[in-house]
Amino acid sequence: MRLNIIGLLFGIAFGGVLAASNLHEYGTIHAMLRLDEFDVFWFMASAIAVSAPLLYLLERRGMNTPFGGELSLSRSMPEKHHIQGGALFGIGWALAGTCPAPALVMVSSGAMLGLVAIPGIFLGLHLRERQQQSDQHVGDGEHRMAVTSHH
Amino acid sequence: MFDALPDRLAWFVGGPILGLLIVGLFVVANQPLGASGAYVQTSGLIRRRSDVVVWRIWYFVGLFVGGLLVTQVFREGAEIRSGYDAMRDVFPLWATIPLVFGGATLLGYGAAVAGGCTSGHGMCGTAQRSPASMAVTVTFMATAILTTFVLRLATGGDL
Repeated sequence: MRLNIIGLLFGIAFGGVLAASNLHEYGTIHAMLRLDEFDVFWFMASAIAVSAPLLYLLERRGMNTPFGGELSLSRSMPEKHHIQGGALFGIGWALAGTCPAPALVMVSSGAMLGLVAIPGIFLGLHLRERQQQSDQHVGDGEHRMAVTSHH
Repeated sequence: MFDALPDRLAWFVGGPILGLLIVGLFVVANQPLGASGAYVQTSGLIRRRSDVVVWRIWYFVGLFVGGLLVTQVFREGAEIRSGYDAMRDVFPLWATIPLVFGGATLLGYGAAVAGGCTSGHGMCGTAQRSPASMAVTVTFMATAILTTFVLRLATGGDL
């Protein structure tokens, strides 16, 4: 229950930052991938520059989290599916000019073509899910299902 | 509504805030702030699967609400529009829709194969210093820039 509220709040904060940075606009992503404008690269790099050292320190201190046990980072080695999936993801990202989180913000900002992108993302994820029955690709992306609570 | 936010937050403000959010979700729940996992769980809910991770669905809802707050409440309020202005300048709507849908399907499929997307691998995975996430990130950056370049060539520089 409390974890649901935390999930909602983190979603609101993340969606809010994406919207405030205009990452939900096709024009922003397009200008980035055309290499006309480097703001989004710097945005991502600075997010990593802030979080990576903090995560390193917190893990080393063996921090205990209220909902997920001891804080532990995952560092798996690249496999073939990472390269294959990444390659397809990049092509789709360039065509659709959006990715999963910004697509939701796109719709809340009134851009109706976001309603075309979101079902597409669902379909793509679903097609893959039907091919493989297990969670064999649990990794450092959000698909690692170290589930803390079902309710 | 209030017009309280600038048209665009500078990257050196937004990026570090996002970095702190990434750390925050690890501190609270030991989980990465990835978005495609939220889609997987939400689609599980729609298909009435019994093993869905409920807080990821609330997180999915939150992304939409956060966007709504910023674009409609803290800013002057964005109107209903098609979006994709730069693409609409080049392609008619009947061509834009399948392009966006096809691209979105491809990126959803790719995210499932790779086990994450721009947030899960690109930011949270890289922040964990995961070699797999770094490989995914370098790969999708490369193919996205290449695809954009090909589109640019194919449209004679218009897109």
